[in-house]
Amino acid sequence: MLQLLIKLREPLLETLLLTFIPLIISVVLGFLFGTLVFITSDAGILDVNASPGLRVLNRISDAIINILRSVPYLIILIWLLPVTKLLVGSIIGWKAAIPSLVVSATPFFARMTVIAFSEVPKGTIEASKALGASNFDIIFKVLLPESKPALLSSIAVTAINLISYSAMAGAIGAGGLGYEAYLYGLIRNNPPLMYMATLLIIILVFGIQYIGDIIVRKVDKR
Amino acid sequence: MISIRNVSKTFKGRRSVDAVKNVSLEIEDGEIFGIVGYSGAGKSTLIRLVNQLETADSGEICIDDVDITKLKGDALRKQRQKIGMIFQHFNLLWSKTVLGNIMFPLELAGVAREERKERAAEMARKVGLEDKMNVYPSNLSGGQKQRVAIARALVLNPKILLCDEATSALDPKTTEDILELLKQINKEYGLTILMISHQMETVQKICHKLAVMADGEVVEQGSVKDIFSNPTHPLTKELIQTVDTGVDVVKLASQLKDKYPEGHLLRITFEDSTSEKPILYTLALKLGIPINIVAANIKSTQAGSLGVMYINIEAKRDVEPFLAELEKQGLKVEVI
Repeated sequence: MLQLLIKLREPLLETLLLTFIPLIISVVLGFLFGTLVFITSDAGILDVNASPGLRVLNRISDAIINILRSVPYLIILIWLLPVTKLLVGSIIGWKAAIPSLVVSATPFFARMTVIAFSEVPKGTIEASKALGASNFDIIFKVLLPESKPALLSSIAVTAINLISYSAMAGAIGAGGLGYEAYLYGLIRNNPPLMYMATLLIIILVFGIQYIGDIIVRKVDKR
Repeated sequence: MISIRNVSKTFKGRRSVDAVKNVSLEIEDGEIFGIVGYSGAGKSTLIRLVNQLETADSGEICIDDVDITKLKGDALRKQRQKIGMIFQHFNLLWSKTVLGNIMFPLELAGVAREERKERAAEMARKVGLEDKMNVYPSNLSGGQKQRVAIARALVLNPKILLCDEATSALDPKTTEDILELLKQINKEYGLTILMISHQMETVQKICHKLAVMADGEVVEQGSVKDIFSNPTHPLTKELIQTVDTGVDVVKLASQLKDKYPEGHLLRITFEDSTSEKPILYTLALKLGIPINIVAANIKSTQAGSLGVMYINIEAKRDVEPFLAELEKQGLKVEVI
């Protein structure tokens, strides 16, 4: 038992790195991307009717989100290999999995951002405008705080998605608990290892969801 | 002074809607001006044109000689800070406390942190929320939420307050309180208030002047007194009819009692089926009792006609058989 855990120390660390590094990057990028989609929509922030260019921008960025969300992770991983080589300098190891994980999680979080912002009543945006808020104020002082609970639970969901993607990143030798369970546990027939690695993943997922829920409950003043 | 001159606004779409058609209005400083009309009349669009939440297709809206329709960017935002606005659904930030909500406009205007708190707290006291400052809006009643919204709208000392159906989501008692607060603020600060409502009753209570809108046009405007005593447009007449008589029943009864100290004073309430028949007349003839109608009001409502009548009968007459007969006919009678 203890030996198993010691053996899984490295994969656990890899899984944590493969989850939280892409998570931070994806949340930042996804937030910005989602904000772009939202403010160029009919939400009443930018005057879309006055400038048709904004509508086009909205359609294009929205389509990019949908396309990237449709492509299976493993395909993105392979497609991105040249870019990965350029960015990371290698196409194997856990670092090489990060660009593809970011590309998968960013559009997901962008969509979650759009949904979270859409839940802010139009009246709230209108009232802020009437008080003299600029578009920057509306995004960072109104939309962001008002959709905080939705955004925080989206972060938890995105983190959990990343855990499951990271198992597939094992294909390029990224390691991690998922790949450990698959390769050493299942293929090389070591059931205790397989169950223990899977159990660790389950604990990780529960932990993230649990902490996420606590934080959401704390910030939700509705 | 707000001068709205020949303003029009059309919403283009699959079916274009002419929301506001060539409207002109003059609202004097310190005046409470009401715009009444049914939903879809264009009042919401019109009030949103005043602070440019909607942009006009043509015409101009001058506030102290500055045409707000020509302003953009920072200049528009500065101008908006001089115009407070409150809404039917309050539109507070739920993530901020009462104090946080009231401080928000100050934050937007770049007021220093310590000063923000001070001014917001003062404003909270003004609207009677001194003991709720650190409470979140979700724990407030509708009336309290609207008080927060009023404090938020006034914390930058605007000269104008726009009220978009501000009492339509509130119960009658709370409506009364909020209207009273608005009236008090209008007096105290000389604040100009432009309010829209679909209820003539609300407008009539606190406005000095009013305009009636239908189909994007102003069909009638003038002082509340003139319009109520001499409505010309059919819609105005209709809207006035919907107003509850506005008479305080208890007060009326005591006045009548003073005026007719002798005799029996009765209040008779007619309902739909009974208001169309000449019951009272027939009965008076039959029993040979002369009746004196001293006050009366008949309203036609969705449910049919409703009427109240006060009659006086000489003291020497025995009213008991009269009362019994009326009851039998299905009328509600009270002896005052």
